[in-house]
Amino acid sequence: MKKIISLSIILGIASVSFIGCAQKTDRGPNSYRAMNQDCYEQKCIRNSLDETSDKASKPIKNIEVQREVPQDAPILEKNKTLRISVVGQGVAPTNTSSPAQAYALAKRAAVADSYRLIAEKVKGVYVEGDDLIQNMMVKRSSIRTSVTAMVKNANVIETNFKEGLCEVEMEIVLSHAQFGH
Amino acid sequence: MRSRDGNSSITRAIWPLIFFSSFALLDAKEFIISYRYVVKDATLYNETLYISEAMQKCSGTPQEHLLLTTDKKNSLKDIIKNNEEEFIDFIHKLGLSVEHKEKTTNLINTSTTILTLKSTCFKVDFNDNFATIAPLK
Repeated sequence: MKKIISLSIILGIASVSFIGCAQKTDRGPNSYRAMNQDCYEQKCIRNSLDETSDKASKPIKNIEVQREVPQDAPILEKNKTLRISVVGQGVAPTNTSSPAQAYALAKRAAVADSYRLIAEKVKGVYVEGDDLIQNMMVKRSSIRTSVTAMVKNANVIETNFKEGLCEVEMEIVLSHAQFGH
Repeated sequence: MRSRDGNSSITRAIWPLIFFSSFALLDAKEFIISYRYVVKDATLYNETLYISEAMQKCSGTPQEHLLLTTDKKNSLKDIIKNNEEEFIDFIHKLGLSVEHKEKTTNLINTSTTILTLKSTCFKVDFNDNFATIAPLK
């Protein structure tokens, strides 16, 4: 009796491991391991979708589907607009004669910061950095960034002034026609 | 053939119009305006607005205009001084060139942002209660 029970247990374990192996081989290149290790976001999404198609019998909810964008696709498409929104910050100088003046000056600084952020987003930033290492130690580390651009038709959406800090939300709407290509 | 009397009423009506419109044209002046402000470490450091009457006639056509109340003042500088916020907003809409430099040395950050309106010619029409100002392009 004991022999029969032990034999049946061994057979059961063997059959379970066999089924597991068979499932792994069925998945092939779309295994979970491959998905997690070496793939970018879009590829991962595609793989996860393939996984879900394998399990078609089960109802699956909340699948995030992203449209694949080719690398050389234009950011600004024809007949479509691109809205860029930024929040710039400015601080009032310490030697102001009234709270109203402090607000006005802080707002001016915040608007300039917003313009800079818009320029950075649309045109890009030039970055340059260097580290000086002596005797296996970082002596000096410096990063220089710069941006030069022309910004037109940017609109102020909202202004907040709290505890000497002014925040200005600005946005710019870009269209394909503005660039005249 | 028409009689002289028949046309006299029309000419009487037209002449004042021509006369006053010529005065209105004479009242239009051109100004060169430039604006620049510097923000250092998120604080306004320097702001300059240069206004000068054009010595030569500017070329170009007037673009979208701004109406400013004159308060019985004839000088553009005074008019802009009274409507500073509106005029600065208008200049921002026209477009400013942004020049930003930032430096981080040993985790200490300093930045300078300069916004500039290059010297631009504006056509200004002075009226009794308001002035119309429009950039020429």
